[in-house]
Amino acid sequence: MNTGSGLKVIAILDYYSSPCFKCILTPEVFIKPHLSVSLSLSLSLCQMDGSVGPMRVLVTGGSGLVGRAIERVVKEGGGREGEKWIFLSSKEANLVSAEETRAAFKKHRPTHVIHLAAMVGGLYRNMRQNLDFWRNNVHINDNVLNMSHEFGVVKVVSCLSTCVFPDKTTYPIDETMMHNGAPHDSNYGYAYAKRMIDVHNRALFQQYGLKYTAVIPTNMFGAHDNFNIEDGHVMPGLIHKTYLAKKEGKPLHVWGSGRALRQFIYSLDLARLFLWVLREYDEVEPIILSVGEEDELTVKDAVDAVVEGFGFKGEVIYDTSKSDGQIKKTANNAKLRKYLPDFKFTPFKQAVKETCDWFAANYDTARK
Amino acid sequence: MKIWPPSEPSLQETDFNCGDTGEQEMTFSLRSCSHSAHNASALTPDLCHHGNTRAVSQCMGNKMDGSVGPMRVLVTGGSGLVGRAIERVVKEEGGGREGETWIFLSSKETNLVSAEETRAAFERHRPTHVIHLAAMVGGLYRNMRQNLDFWRNNLHINDNVLHTSQEFGVVKVVSCLSTCVFPDNTTYPLDETMMHNGVPHESNYGYAYAKRMIDVHNRALFQQYGLKYTAVIPTNMFGPHDNYNIEDGHVMPGLIHKTYLAKKEGTPLQVWGSGRALRQFIYSLDLARLFLWVLREYDEVEPIILSVGEEDELTVKDAVDAVVEAFRFEGKVIYDTSKSDGQIKKTASNAKLRKYLPDFKFTPFKQAILETCDWFAANFDSARK
Repeated sequence: MNTGSGLKVIAILDYYSSPCFKCILTPEVFIKPHLSVSLSLSLSLCQMDGSVGPMRVLVTGGSGLVGRAIERVVKEGGGREGEKWIFLSSKEANLVSAEETRAAFKKHRPTHVIHLAAMVGGLYRNMRQNLDFWRNNVHINDNVLNMSHEFGVVKVVSCLSTCVFPDKTTYPIDETMMHNGAPHDSNYGYAYAKRMIDVHNRALFQQYGLKYTAVIPTNMFGAHDNFNIEDGHVMPGLIHKTYLAKKEGKPLHVWGSGRALRQFIYSLDLARLFLWVLREYDEVEPIILSVGEEDELTVKDAVDAVVEGFGFKGEVIYDTSKSDGQIKKTANNAKLRKYLPDFKFTPFKQAVKETCDWFAANYDTARK
Repeated sequence: MKIWPPSEPSLQETDFNCGDTGEQEMTFSLRSCSHSAHNASALTPDLCHHGNTRAVSQCMGNKMDGSVGPMRVLVTGGSGLVGRAIERVVKEEGGGREGETWIFLSSKETNLVSAEETRAAFERHRPTHVIHLAAMVGGLYRNMRQNLDFWRNNLHINDNVLHTSQEFGVVKVVSCLSTCVFPDNTTYPLDETMMHNGVPHESNYGYAYAKRMIDVHNRALFQQYGLKYTAVIPTNMFGPHDNYNIEDGHVMPGLIHKTYLAKKEGTPLQVWGSGRALRQFIYSLDLARLFLWVLREYDEVEPIILSVGEEDELTVKDAVDAVVEAFRFEGKVIYDTSKSDGQIKKTASNAKLRKYLPDFKFTPFKQAILETCDWFAANFDSARK
């Protein structure tokens, strides 16, 4: 089929039957053969008023902290008429395998992807297994991005982290700095695999005009987290420990001095922002999703909020022989504020209380 | 290949439980070939590999004097510029040793982008050592157009070769990086510690990151399994059996091809760029001799720059003059300054190499150019272009 402007088009429209559907090809979107025989086609489901029409959104890592938050936000009004949301978990598809990834895409035929799936771990596991974190994540990411391209997915939003930024850097960090030096030695496998998502996105845009992008959250917390004390992250670890300390009538032992500074973002706020990025954010360069620098808190502030959230009355001991990790990793959310000056984050104490309540109510089934 | 399943917590146990299940095989791997007992195998706890690999690595005959015994060396990219040079050094200059088998693999035989084909090649050849040269390679202009393909294809080739080497118990892999993958904003000269310190040049970031990740993979293999896979970092290579394609090739082979044609057709020689860009050129035969030394003697995981010294850095114009002289081209030379120069400067320090091999002699530049031009003229019809 040739368009009036002489573009060559190979379009196979075998799966989308909505009457609202239109196929719009932009000059940058050429179909080029490459080694894996791509049948890539890109469809824009724009309606006359510029809004995005009916979508099929595949959320990889759908059963994790962020996936569950997105699911809740979608079901409570974040989703739109006619949209289909599929929350994929590792039980259904092992994304390290190209074949299983392809099968999942064939089955679900997404138009959009929110890519959250990863091999994730705490400080100590990363330190032991950098090879596995590198290889498994690079395969997961390559499979998801490549299949998305092959299956004509219009947009993919992947998930990075401030922890993959250069170890030696100035603060606050911003979106332009991610590749400017080697990551921290404890998790370079994970860090490089995540950074390469951004490399892949930029190359997809340069070669095919696709605007796949990524977000960079700071420290996340919320319901459905991994609350494992050894392998988990700071907030879920604190919540689990405080719950046990209260239940067993023991002191709460906090690792580190409590002085380390973090910006915490509630998973439900992150989910709302993810949906905005999916629908409205039009850049390939990633975007930091975080509360502002003015809302940076110490670990001690977090401890106090969790203690209050559980009504814990016992002793709190700071074990200063344990590492604080990075003392500071302040991220700049100016880009987010430029787009959404009025976005309101859930007040910290309220978010912590909701999470503690959830954990107490779901202790038996919570991942730990 | 066993793929890590997140839903099976038992596989998250640390390394010490492998002996309990009969189905899992242990990886025996020597930390260093300087151990002297013949056929000794040293099992250390951190080399125990859980998961379904079939890796069994045996000490391939360490002799009392610490030298490496009989080897089966697989050279990927064996038909390329460096592969052919290694083949010549091995076969015609005594670079190979008694009892060694050298296998030169080409893409005609195996597509290393495919994990299955890579495994089949390893099963067929059972190497003890690998020199990994295979890559999707191109000149400035092709890289600029196809960063995605350069990233993905090279990532897969490298992951397949390194991972399959580990699975098949390969004792050592020497991969091939390049100074062109170093950070763009940097101080000079470059040295081995600087490779990851910033973003690569915009023109070839796909290729650059794929190559850098070889070093990441090597370090992680050493950290998790004690394997000492390593890599070399050559500067600008040239020699017989190069890819002389003018659109896609590199500066030296492109110049050689263009000068040959200009002379033959009596037209001017059009050089892309201003001629001011600076490069350190290394002859493929010198590189091959150094590769063999790295394979046999160099014991670090950190890569090593293989290059002539900073004092031997030349401009593209110097290269043009040498090629013109070699072909005795008498026509006009035009520098097309509308075309990109690529990186103006990428001076690399060879101090580390000189620390190990203070007396290594590089072939004089003009002699190397003359040999290459003579080869090209004699082999024009069959040369890759």
